[in-house]
Amino acid sequence: MLVDFELIKRAQNRDSAAFNEVVLAYRKRILGTITRLIARSEDVEDVAQEVFLRLYFSLDQLRTPEVFEPWLYRLTVNAAFDYLRKQRRRQEFRMSDLSEQQVLMADAMAGSKVEHEEQLKKKVRESVDSLLGAVSEADRILLMLKEVEGLSLKELEKVYKVNENALKVRLFRARQRVLKAFGAAGKKEGTG
Amino acid sequence: MSMRGNEDEKLDALFLAYRDACPEPEASANFMPTLWARIDSRQTFLFSFRRMANAFVTAAVALSIALGVYMSIPRNNAGSSYTGTYLEALAEANPLDTPEIVGPVRLVDLTGR
Repeated sequence: MLVDFELIKRAQNRDSAAFNEVVLAYRKRILGTITRLIARSEDVEDVAQEVFLRLYFSLDQLRTPEVFEPWLYRLTVNAAFDYLRKQRRRQEFRMSDLSEQQVLMADAMAGSKVEHEEQLKKKVRESVDSLLGAVSEADRILLMLKEVEGLSLKELEKVYKVNENALKVRLFRARQRVLKAFGAAGKKEGTG
Repeated sequence: MSMRGNEDEKLDALFLAYRDACPEPEASANFMPTLWARIDSRQTFLFSFRRMANAFVTAAVALSIALGVYMSIPRNNAGSSYTGTYLEALAEANPLDTPEIVGPVRLVDLTGR
């Protein structure tokens, strides 16, 4: 927890200063998560504000401050999902870029130029976005939270309010689809 | 089998690299002012909506009470020519001594002779 329970309780009682402190504590983390979930940097701040706006108006529904973080994650996931649903125009990435990216990754091990690293990072982002195009929007967000954000199954259970087994099955299937796409990209690289 | 495991590991590494590759955005200077402006705007909207809903509920309750009072006032039936019950009206229309009902049935009428 980045803030103590007392602060959350104060924010629940419409204490503006306490709410400000909560936002300042979680702002960076939420911005980072949203960046990875929506992959459109120009809208990240707008979606983050929507998360905190929803937080402000629903904070009184939070029964115990102990579940604040999973609850904030749920708000974040919902806001990102709503945004993506509105957008409906996910960037199409070419699978052929993957092989080039893997070559670049190997090259980058030797060199350490900033420009080169930036290029590599861009390629990694594009590769993962491309691979995650193999699964639905909802599964993409779930995989992101598990694999990239590093949330445990227990935490995801609280975020999604579904049992662990159902989550495991869904994660397994989503990961299998991504792996299949990853393997196909590898084969393409091998033959190309 | 080992190939699959190898790909799994590669995928994990790619996901890790992705986390590092994504920029950690800093909030702009306007983040908090804009957030509070949005909160205020939503609050104003909610407040006026609530006020409108309250006014609507009050008007509906007042109308119901007025309608109830109106319905409970006994009607003035002085002008009406009819004062009896339905049975009384029926009895008046078909008195028991009406020949068509209680008169004896003649066989001639039935046999046609």
